[in-house]
Parts: sequence; structure tokens; C-alpha cells
Amino acid sequence: MVTVSIDIGGTFTDIIIIDKEIHYYKVPTTPANPEQAVMEGLSKYLHKDIDEFIHATTIATNSLLGQYGLELPRTALITTKGFRDVIEIGRQNRPELYNLDFHRPKTLIPSKLRYEADERTDVNGNLVTKLDTDSMENVKNSLIKNKVKSVAICFLHSYMNPENEVNLKNYLSEYFDNISISYGVSPEPREYERTSTTVVNSVLMPVVSGYLKRLKSVLDKFGSPEINMMSNAGGLVSVDEVIKKPVNIIESGPAAGVIAASEFSSILGIDKVISFDMGGTTSKAGTVINHNVEITAEYEVGGSSHHGRIVKGSGYPVRFPFIDLSEVSSGGGTVIWKDKTGALNIGPMSAGSEPGPVAYNRGGKEPTLTDSNLVMGIINDKMSGSDKILRKDLALKALEKLGNPYEVAESAIKLANLEMARAIRLVTVERGLDPAEFTLFGFGGAGPQVAMPVADELGIRNVIIPPEPGVFSALGLMLADIKYEARMSYPEDLEAGFTGLEQKLKYQVNDPEFLRYADCRYVGQGSELTIPVEVPDRDKIIKDFTDTHNRTFGFTLERPVEILTIRVFAIKKRVKPDVKSGKNTENKPFERNVYISGRWESVYVYQRDALPVGQKINGPAVIEEDGSSTFVPPGWKTSRGENNELRAVRL
Amino acid sequence: MTDWEIIGKATQFIAEEMGVALKRSAISPNIRERMDHSCAVLDSEGRIIAQAEHIPVHLGSFKIGSRNIINYMREHNITLKKDEMLITNDPYISGTHLNDVTIIAPVYHDEKIFCYVINKAHNVDVGGPVFGSLNPDARNLYQEGLIIPPVIITDDIIKMILANFKDPETARGDLNAQISANKMGINRINELKSKYGADEILSSWNSLIDHSRELSLMALKSWQSGEYTAEDYLEKGIEKINIDIKLKIDEYGVIADFQGTHSEIEYPLNAVEGVTFSAVAYAIRSAMRYSIPTNDGFYSIITIKAPYGSLVNPENNYPVSGGNVETTQRIADVTLRALSAFLDYIPAASSGTMMNIMMGGKIGNKYWSYYETIGGGNGGRYDSNGESGIHSNMTNTLNTPVEIAEKEYPFFFTRNNLRRNSYGKGKYHGGEGIVRSFRVRSRTYISVIADRFIIPPWGLKGGFPGKTGKLYIISNGKKKSMPSKFSTVLEENDEVIVETPGGAAYGEKQ
Repeated sequence: MVTVSIDIGGTFTDIIIIDKEIHYYKVPTTPANPEQAVMEGLSKYLHKDIDEFIHATTIATNSLLGQYGLELPRTALITTKGFRDVIEIGRQNRPELYNLDFHRPKTLIPSKLRYEADERTDVNGNLVTKLDTDSMENVKNSLIKNKVKSVAICFLHSYMNPENEVNLKNYLSEYFDNISISYGVSPEPREYERTSTTVVNSVLMPVVSGYLKRLKSVLDKFGSPEINMMSNAGGLVSVDEVIKKPVNIIESGPAAGVIAASEFSSILGIDKVISFDMGGTTSKAGTVINHNVEITAEYEVGGSSHHGRIVKGSGYPVRFPFIDLSEVSSGGGTVIWKDKTGALNIGPMSAGSEPGPVAYNRGGKEPTLTDSNLVMGIINDKMSGSDKILRKDLALKALEKLGNPYEVAESAIKLANLEMARAIRLVTVERGLDPAEFTLFGFGGAGPQVAMPVADELGIRNVIIPPEPGVFSALGLMLADIKYEARMSYPEDLEAGFTGLEQKLKYQVNDPEFLRYADCRYVGQGSELTIPVEVPDRDKIIKDFTDTHNRTFGFTLERPVEILTIRVFAIKKRVKPDVKSGKNTENKPFERNVYISGRWESVYVYQRDALPVGQKINGPAVIEEDGSSTFVPPGWKTSRGENNELRAVRL
Repeated sequence: MTDWEIIGKATQFIAEEMGVALKRSAISPNIRERMDHSCAVLDSEGRIIAQAEHIPVHLGSFKIGSRNIINYMREHNITLKKDEMLITNDPYISGTHLNDVTIIAPVYHDEKIFCYVINKAHNVDVGGPVFGSLNPDARNLYQEGLIIPPVIITDDIIKMILANFKDPETARGDLNAQISANKMGINRINELKSKYGADEILSSWNSLIDHSRELSLMALKSWQSGEYTAEDYLEKGIEKINIDIKLKIDEYGVIADFQGTHSEIEYPLNAVEGVTFSAVAYAIRSAMRYSIPTNDGFYSIITIKAPYGSLVNPENNYPVSGGNVETTQRIADVTLRALSAFLDYIPAASSGTMMNIMMGGKIGNKYWSYYETIGGGNGGRYDSNGESGIHSNMTNTLNTPVEIAEKEYPFFFTRNNLRRNSYGKGKYHGGEGIVRSFRVRSRTYISVIADRFIIPPWGLKGGFPGKTGKLYIISNGKKKSMPSKFSTVLEENDEVIVETPGGAAYGEKQ
């Protein structure tokens, strides 16, 4: 049995092959044709057929942002008469308050490709004006004349009654391959967000199906295995599902990281986990409680984030289940700079992977957090995924421009830690959770360097550095379960509603387990809390909602509670490969100077593979492995656990 | 010794986190979805250390409001004890209008007040004769709702307040959210104190303010010193109400002198000093074009000279509800216009009105009230067209989704599109306004406070003005054009059509 998982990230394509033993590889990503890196990696490292192939990719986001010359297909939108510009007006806010030169994200549907249909459904689902498909002939002709590749249809209140949308889709499907109706993608109220979701889905349909076709032909050389893809919600879905609803895979890579943390936390028996994934340009945090991930339905693709949360109106809203992550733009490549008055700042600019940190010697001029870690002795000079050596002299020179290079480096890292702690606060404190009760899982190329200092900011006393932190997300793919979602709004009868959704899901997943949720709010509130449902009893759900509201916000209200949307996840557990066995090497620790709290200290540097299980190491210390370094600050004690994890405890 | 940058950033995060807490737990869509609220940390003297604002009109008004509240407490010998909070909505003290309710709480250290946390949120109804409390017919402050002087919050005070607000349940939720946001702020400041120590924090806060002031002065240095004047107008019926500004700019600061501006009026367009300050501060800050931390350092470079008894600094008890939503836009416009004399990148005028619509009525034996604002066209820029269907300058509140509004209120929407050809033509044209229309499904009271129905948004460098706003009511098949400010009753099935102004153009069309 050969299982392969591939996580295509912005810089590296991570490949894990399990064939009796587990092997980890990194190859540079080929952004314009991501399947190329897959081909190169597999040809180099695998000479067998693959039985199971699991995949995460950034192609959807990259296409929407128009990166790497990826072009978007010509897409049209058909709306209820009187509402064609909802997609442009959005929520009528601007993403920046004080910028006179602001621009909205480029509209995905130009004005001339927005059409209206004479139809209307009211708030209760009654057809006020039934759609006469004959009246749509002109629209159809215009779509053909404009060489439209994909069509989005979004009518008011279609989540209550999709009849008009379905009829128009049936009418147009004779002429177009790619059609999304809003009821099919996002059957819930709020017309702008639903329209945007449908449009994003339509735009992505040709892009993603084209990519998957090319990927399939690559995999034909390796026995044509079945492809499963990681969804935003952290479950595996089939290629068919992704082709129909490409919005499924917008955040597939980051989701894989949280799933890895979740699954590994079950192996270790830890109930409350913060997953903290720090890469080259961003850091992402999420919570995992009792091995369950938090789901949110609000997301904006390509949006910019402000102190960890996406700024409304800065991207394209997508209403689809996503693992709830907060994100800050602090990564290894984050740039350190001084403003005109000489005050120290970090980010949000990033040197990314091109040109990368100054020490990469690829033309980077501004010092980055990675440069700081290098000069402080926290990381060594081996470059991840390459044979090259990092240039400490160049990093030093760049930092010197800002002052004493070591002091600047240390302050910059402290500022970054504060931002990252802020991201973690958002996913805990916002929900009434105390971060101090959690264990922090630090991974991603840069996560292990800062996990313990960040934990200190939050009063967290337990940190885990999982095995292979640099490719931990790809490991998450190996550990994920099959998971599909379906939802409906304003159900009249709860049991009938849930059963109906489950029937629908049974077509997609064989013999699944079901998880039921209800999105509830006090009437008049602007957003909902998602409440797990054990029995479809309105009073019980309302009680659970009230408790959650009280825990999260600290009060309840004498107000009716409404159930806006119900959703079901169909889950099928997979047989998980053994990912926790590690190698053992014999490397002696050596000493290195590390800059800690304003002075140099000689600390021991250990090789992770060479640590005997259970041996305690007191900070300050550095533990190195391929692709990352773990920094153990003073006051922390670390040991290698039985599942090949590093366990750190605050003394 | 910890760097001040680190403590400064931590303090900014506290203000932000208070804002998140407030938004997430508030009830009214106005705060939850439209984010009509702001939070700040003040030092014991009332100087703003860090502020998280989501809506520019709160930007500078906090400075004036905080100063006034601290002075008021001194004059009246009020010392807030630990766990006590003070509430007020008196616009002549807190600096905006009655709808904005401010709550302030002390943070103690060694038995002394160390600093304050404060927040302000727009409550959808604060009493008075009309739903939503923005009363176009108000002739004095008493006709705009309940005035809450600075008083310490007690259960009785809350009872008293809620008995006067028309949607007490919503108001209770929103006030709770404001109180809990302050509690969170207090806890965070206490954590900060135990981590870094009180002295270290105070000295860092001073550095933070100095830094912001220094950045602001550097921006001013690149500006051309001098005196720049401009004039713009509001509409009162067909009467023009002028706002005159003389901006005096040198390397030490900006003085905005409103000598010559129309005197105060018995009409809800008066702008209290806080509003005037905030609109000028908004324009100056935007024109500086780089990011400056919002704190007293930035504010300290701006001086307002607003004649007492004028439209932009009225005597107590003149009505002010529209000052905060409409006059504020015009003050920003006139300040930007003055700046355009030497800064080429100042855009042409945007729609210039928030198009405030307040509605309410009775379903069964319960009152409902609803408030929305509608975006317009953004002005053309020196290098690009204006954006369409968007809020400009002093507001940035979200619209209410049609599907949610229809679910909760007796409306049936018929349109929400861009208003074609509403922009001014030129080298870079403005953005388009919005057409939003709806029918009411039951008898509804409506009040509107809007502007730019007669005098259009102005173009720059030869660009044409945008189209003026319009509002129609169709009743029994008859379409009636309405003025920019009115209140009336809509009968079942009456339709309201709102057309917001388009943005003006920048530059002559070649």
C-alpha cells in the first residue's frame, strides 16, 4: 500500500510518501503550473504505483488574486431584477478608513456581464413572480455572444425556495457546462455574501477542473490513484465534489495543518490545543477542543487582515464552512523597518520566498525575522529545501542599518511574538476560552522557533513541537477523514430538516457518521453562533445556545432565539497510517552562542533525532532538525516524547 | 527595560480587543453589522493613548469628549471608584450626538486612578418623538431624545434610561456590551501592569504619544505652509447654510478657523465642537497619506477655532442630531477643498451625505425601529475614477442585507443597484450613487436627514460635479419628490425610492 500526500504551498510543495516507512520531501513550487512540481517530485522519489493520493493546493486563491499570470475565465452573473449591482455595492463600506486612494478588490463580474431576470421570491419562500424561461432567451444569446465560460445565478430568498434558480439552470445547462446556483453553493440569507460565494464558485469551476485534469494525467503515470482533496472545513472530499464546488478547497493547506494538530492531539491524549502554524509570510492560529476543530462560515478570499481578523470588504466573501483561523502577517520573511521617526516596525510587508530574507542572497535588501533568528544564533545557516548556506554576514549588514543588529533583531522578534499572541487571543478569548488552559502546537517552518516565547505572552505552560514540523500540514492530509457538508436555512421541522440533509449526503459518502449543527442567534443579532446538535429539539438547542452565548459574551438576553441555518457534516473515518515513528541518530550536542535578553549565552544545540526519549533538557537550548529549529528559552524544560514529539513545560 | 514600541503595541491591541468584544456581543445590527462604535485607552489626564475606531466621525470627537468628561468630573467632584462606570450621551460633553452613548471606567493602581478605558456606541434609539431619534423637525436638543448627563451607572439609572428608549431590549443588550467591553479593557490593562510595571507603562505611553506627534509634524513639514480658504454649503429647505474655513498650516501645526460660518440654527444641523474637530482631523490625517497611530500626539497638532454660537460650535441645547451625520461630511469636504489648493492628490467631492433613513412603527403592541445609511459615489482621484456605491469620508457603516431587513421589518425591496450616469464627467470621473427602493407592508413612520439634493458635489481641476440626490414616495400611484430632510407617514404599500448623489470628477476631459 502506497499512500502519497502532497501539500502545495506558496514556496514549497511538500511530499509525504508512506510505503512501509514514511518519507518526507520538499520541492520548490511551480505556481503557474502546480502539477509540474508534483510530477518532478514524484518522478524523483517514487518508482511505484500509488494506492491513495491526498492533496491540498493554493490554486484557487492564487487564481482569484490573479497571481502568477493565472487568468480567470469569463464569467457572467444573473440576479433578480433590480439587484444586478449587489455584487459591486457589497456592504457599501471601504476597506481602509483614511486612505483617499483606496480601491475595492477588482470586481469578478464586469458590469456588462451582469444580467437580471424578472422573478421574485418573498421572504417566506412564496413565488411572487415565477420565472418565465422563455423571457431569458435574449440573456442566453448575449451570454453566448460574449463567449461566457461560466455562469453564476443568485436570486433573492432562493435559500427558502430555489425553484426559479433551478429552472433557469436547467434552461441554460443546454448551452453552458459551468453553472452555479446560489442555492447549490450557499443556501442561506444575506444576498451579497451569497452572490459573492456563487460568483467565486463559478469563476473557479473552469480553473479547478482544468487543473485537476492535468493533475490526473500526471498521476496516470503512477497507477491513476483516486484523488481526495482537503476541504476548508478540514475533511477530505472527492474530485467530483471539488469540480462542482471549488469553493471547497480555497483554504485547503491551512486546514490541513489544523487537522494534523487535531489528529496528533488524539494520539497524545491532549484535549485543549491551539494549533499555531508559522510559515514564510503568515502565521495562523486555531483551536482544537476534544479533537474537534472550530468551524466558521464567514470568510473573505484575498482579504487583508487587521490584527488577526479579515477586514470586511477587503476581499471576496465566501460563505462556506472553513476552519476558524486567525491570521497575522508575521512569518519568517516579514520585513523589519524603521519609520521616519526611527520607531521600530515589523511587516506587514514580507520578502516572501522571492527574494526572501537577506541571508538567502537572492537580492533581498530589507532584514526579516528569519535574518534576526539567524544572527541571534537561534537557527543555523542551513537553508531549508536546498543545499545552500544562509549568509549571516549579509543579514548582519542589513540589520546594522537599523541600529545595533542584535538589539534590533531581538526587539523585532518580540514585536512579532506580540502579534502572534494577539492572533491566538482572538481564537480563544473571543469565545470565552482561557488560553492558559491550552497546549500550544507549534509547527510550520518558523513555528518551533517562537512557540515557547509566544506561549509566555499568553500564560500558556505546555508546548508541543510535533514531528516533522516543517511538513506537518502535509502530514495532516494523511490523517484526515472524509467529510462533506450540507445546510439549509429556516427549517420548519428540525428532524425532517436534518434527515433531509443526511439523505442528500448519503449519496456522497458511503455509510457515514453524521454531525449536526445549528446556527443560532437572538433575533436581531448580525451573526450567529454554531451550536452542535445532539437531539433535534428546539428547546434543547436554544438552551445550548444560551449557555454558549453566556460563556462567550458573558450575558444572555430576554429575547427570542432563532435557528437561521442547520448544517450536517457526513464523516467517514479513514484508516490512519503510522506517522509517529522517528529515526534515531547519534549526534553529540555542541555549544553555540545565542543572544538572549540582551546578552550572549553559550547554549547547547541538540539534534532532535539523537535525543533519547524522556531525557530532559533545560532551556536555554536549541534543538535542530531538517527544516526547522526549536528554541527552548530559559524557564522551559523539554523532552522527546514516545510519539516522537517534543514536549515543553514552563517551569 | 522594555521597548516602548512593545508596550505601545500591546496597548493598541487592548483598544482593538475591546472593540471586538463590543461588536461581538452587541444586539443592534447598527453596532454588530455596521460597526458604529469605538474604543480607547486614556491616561489619567484624559489624553488618548490608543484608540480603535471603525468610523471616522468618532476619531477626533473622542479627544474632545474625553477632555470634557474628565473636566466635568473634576468640576463636580466625581471620583469613579473601582468597579464604577460613568455614562453620558450629552453631545455638548461627549462630543457627537445623543445616539452615541459613552461609557468610561477607571483602572486603579495603588489606590489611585492609573488610566481610563472608554467606549462609545451608536444606540439605535435614545428616545424623543421619532423612531431612531434623528429628528428632522427638532428645534432644540430636548426634541432629539433623552439627555443623560455624566452619571455613575446604577441599576436605577439603567432603568431610567431604558424607560425612555423605544426599543429597551435592544438597548439593554447594547449597554451590556459596552460595559463588558470596558471590563475586558480593565482586565487587560491590569495584566499589562503586572507584566511591565506601572512606571514602565507610563513612560512608554509618553513615548507613544511623542512618536505619533513627531510623525505628524514630519508630514506637515512636506506641506506648503500658508493660509488656505474654502467654502461649502448645507441645505435647509432651499436656504444655503455656509461653512467657511481658513486653514493655517505651518511646521508646528494646523489651525482650522471657521470665522464667517453660518450661525447656529434651530434645525438639527448644528455640529458640536467634537464633531467639528473630528471632521478636520479626518481630512488632515487622510491627506498625510501614511499611517499614524491614533493618539493624543496626532491630535495635538490640530487646533480648531470655531466661533461660539456658530453652526460648528453651538451654544448648549441647540439640536445636533444631523450635525454628526451630515454637517460632519460638509466640514470634511470643506477642509479637503482647502487642502486641494496645494495638494494635487486630494480627490473631487464624494456624495457628501450619509442619506440617513429612520423608520419605525408598531407591530402588535411592540414598537420597532430601523435605521440605515446609504452610500453614494466617491469622488474622482488624481489618477483614477472614484468608486461606486460606497461610503465616503466620515462614515463607513455597512448596509443591512435586503434579505435580513425583509425578515425582520415590514419591507419589500424593489431595487438595490448603482444609479447609472450619476457621476460627474471628467478626466477621472466620480463613482456612481445608489438607487435603493422598497415598499412598506404596514403603516410606517419615516424620517430622512440627507443633503446634496440641491448643491451637487464639487469637481476639481475642471471636472464636472456629480448628480444631486433625490428621494421619491409613490403613494396610490402618485410619485412625489421629497426634500432632503422631512418626516412623514407611509401607508401600506407605499414605495420609497432613494437615489444617492454621484461623485464629482477630477480634471477636465481631454
